[in-house]
Amino acid sequence: MRKNLLAAFAAALLISAFLISAALAETVNWTAIRGARIVPVNGPVIEKGTVLIRNGIIAAVGAQVDVPASAWIVDGNGLTVYPGFIDALSSWGLPQTAQAQPPSAARGAQQQPQQPQQARSWGPLDRPGTFSWVKAADLLQPADPRLGQARNAGFTSAVVFPRQGIVAGHGAVINLGGRTAGEMVVAPDSGLFLALRPSGYTGFPSTPMGIMAYFRQLWLDAEHYRQALSMYAADPVNIPRPAYDRAIEGILGARRVLLPAADPVQLERMLTLAADLKTPAVLYGVVRGYEMAARLKQAGTPVILNVRWPARDRNADPEDRESLRELRIRDLAPASPAALSEAGVKWAVSSEGLDSPRAVLRALKQSIDRGLRREDALRALTLTAAEIYGVAARLGSIERGKIANLVLADGDLFDDRTRVRMVFIDGVRRLPEPEAPAPQGAAGRSPSISEEEEQ
Amino acid sequence: MKTARFTCLAALAVTVFAAENNSFLLRNATVHPVSGAAIENASVLVVDGRIAGVGPKIAPKGKIKVIEGRGLHVYPGMIDSGSPIGLAEIASVRETVDAGEIGDFNPQLRALIAVNPSSEHIPVVRANGITSVLVTPGSTGGGRGAAAGSLIAGQASLVHLDGWTWEEMEIRRAAAMQLAWPVIRMPRGRGAGIEALLPGLAARRATFAEARRSQQQQVQKIQDFFDAARRYQTAKAAGESIQPDLRYEAMIPVLEGKLPLMITAVREREIREALAFAARERLKIVLAGVRRPGKTLEEIAKRNIPVVLGTTFVTPLEEDDPYDEPFTLPAHLHKAGVKFAFASFGVQFARNLPYQAAQAVPFGLPYDEALKSVTLNPAQIWGIDAEYGSIEKGKFADLIVTDGDPLEIRTQVKMMFIKGVPVDLESRHTRLYKRYSARP
Repeated sequence: MRKNLLAAFAAALLISAFLISAALAETVNWTAIRGARIVPVNGPVIEKGTVLIRNGIIAAVGAQVDVPASAWIVDGNGLTVYPGFIDALSSWGLPQTAQAQPPSAARGAQQQPQQPQQARSWGPLDRPGTFSWVKAADLLQPADPRLGQARNAGFTSAVVFPRQGIVAGHGAVINLGGRTAGEMVVAPDSGLFLALRPSGYTGFPSTPMGIMAYFRQLWLDAEHYRQALSMYAADPVNIPRPAYDRAIEGILGARRVLLPAADPVQLERMLTLAADLKTPAVLYGVVRGYEMAARLKQAGTPVILNVRWPARDRNADPEDRESLRELRIRDLAPASPAALSEAGVKWAVSSEGLDSPRAVLRALKQSIDRGLRREDALRALTLTAAEIYGVAARLGSIERGKIANLVLADGDLFDDRTRVRMVFIDGVRRLPEPEAPAPQGAAGRSPSISEEEEQ
Repeated sequence: MKTARFTCLAALAVTVFAAENNSFLLRNATVHPVSGAAIENASVLVVDGRIAGVGPKIAPKGKIKVIEGRGLHVYPGMIDSGSPIGLAEIASVRETVDAGEIGDFNPQLRALIAVNPSSEHIPVVRANGITSVLVTPGSTGGGRGAAAGSLIAGQASLVHLDGWTWEEMEIRRAAAMQLAWPVIRMPRGRGAGIEALLPGLAARRATFAEARRSQQQQVQKIQDFFDAARRYQTAKAAGESIQPDLRYEAMIPVLEGKLPLMITAVREREIREALAFAARERLKIVLAGVRRPGKTLEEIAKRNIPVVLGTTFVTPLEEDDPYDEPFTLPAHLHKAGVKFAFASFGVQFARNLPYQAAQAVPFGLPYDEALKSVTLNPAQIWGIDAEYGSIEKGKFADLIVTDGDPLEIRTQVKMMFIKGVPVDLESRHTRLYKRYSARP
């Protein structure tokens, strides 16, 4: 009796296993991009080859690839395949109001109802400007029209961060397409964004030294909190229960911190701060990278380069003479990428402050004209960004096993005339979408019903 | 009753003292008349407050006090061409500051009547050889205009730095009308990204177009005010019955070109506008606080417009300007043929007036011009050169007796005479010096 039962159970197991594998086998989707020039980034260029995609993951790359008969074939003749670009510090897909300014900043009276005035803070215990429990992954809006613009420029991924306050919250590596917000997320815990933005005399901390001291206190509090919790867990009978602190909970989960380093002075401060926080740092907003490269290399800290090269303020008084210092920064800033690459600093690119995603490529073209090698520019847009955020096993190059995020362009990436013909995100093809120039104008077409093709 | 008699006696005592005290013969000194070459071993005869003779061979006549001047130098007292001294005591204590009345147009205000003769600053300034000051009613001179205060702040008055009351201090009740030319005011964030700016400030940043519009509105206000004053002047001259208005009344001497309009204009753009305005309105003007005249310098010289320069002890206007930009400006003006005088535009640093002029000398300004710019030039600019500004027969005896060049910091002013009356050179500084020197 018992034997029979066991046999029946084993049989059932076998059948179910077969059914599952059969079900999986049924849903296998093959896509092959054939006859294209392939730039894998991590290896030599393949002048004419095939990229085979299986269920959204790259299954094979090469000049000779066996393509299953059921595969959907994309003719890549005359096209170049690049890994999808990654905006390494972005706000695409996030609600734009939360990203703008800290709540204390009275930007306009109309924003007051949306953002209730925070109580004035008097010290670290008030946790001023702290939103460490906020996760970009929880705020994604798949209908953000900027996602379409970004795809049109060849971006398939971005690392997005919430931007309010001084401890802004956790960033996420996202793919710039998906039916749901959840589908877009590649890694939900990509780092904690810290800003050195003074409160504007509305409360503590109002100075850079106050902010840095606050960060130190926060991390000390986090360590204390961790110890208190583990002591409590070991002996809940004799030890009073430590109070729950959502700000600290958010700090404890930080794998890395993003810190600003606009100039050499701030760089030194942030390197010291990062060491004090005992957390790996990624530096952002490195405007004067041209004079910081050696120090960055020595410190071994990766940077997210702000490629909005400084320009004359259009609002400036036309009779004002600009200082040599300003002109020098303006002249040398586009040379930063070449300097960083030469020094061997890991750098990626941020779209921050640029009008459109396409402007990122134009900005990099300026740097190429100033001595940056095209390969290095491409690597910064792809594999280096993935490495910085620890997702290089899944993103950043065209190789077997990586997520099929690809850009197909009709020429060299950094040529003005080059157009992106299509992108693949998680193996799903997306064709360029018409861009609505003004938000009030062509609102009839929602990005959610864009050309999304199922194979 | 008792007090009244006491005051009466005191007043009497002063008159007697003064009468006895404003005649003397200063002899065997080196006299620097400023209007001419220095005369060694010379004497200055002062009778009833006026200079009765200057020269090597002047013998005392009758019973007159003789002052031995061997080894000493005699100079005319210096004139500061702009300072709120007497109107402001401690800048950060509002109750002690009388300058800067509220309102855009206050031409009816006279700085003189607000001067505090007991100001602690007065003896300090005197100690360096300054005998007269043009007291300005505006909130601040210099800088980039005084847009924080009035456009027309009021009448600047020339005063002596000695007297029991402002009446005794008066030289000219109305020596100039003070106007601050509006400035296009832009926030100057130097290379600072939005990230570095305070978030509140970043949002409030005005565009250049907005700033220019608001400046043009202010210029229009000035034009409207002058137009209204002109209508008042015409109506009054025609004998029409008009409602008396002190503001327009005070503007009449300006419109007639009798009272100079002292226009604060720092940079080329404001100076150009101010020059055009003055030409259109046919006004007599003095430019004040000039720092960067640029191409207007030629016109300033051609139209014989005097300039009042602020302190030379400032950093250059812009970070790429040569370090000596403030030091060489006086020499540039001199080369262009512009008459200028120095002003401290301040209270506690008014005492540095001679050194402001001195700082320009190693940077190209002839020494004689430097000396004139704090003596004869201001007297000419403010129209008192018939009586002040140099050591000449017939002029009032505003004299300083020093042990050397008064533009030299180490020089001590040994004696000072205002209208021939010896003036006390004690000040808070000397009192503190004595007090702390005596500390055991």
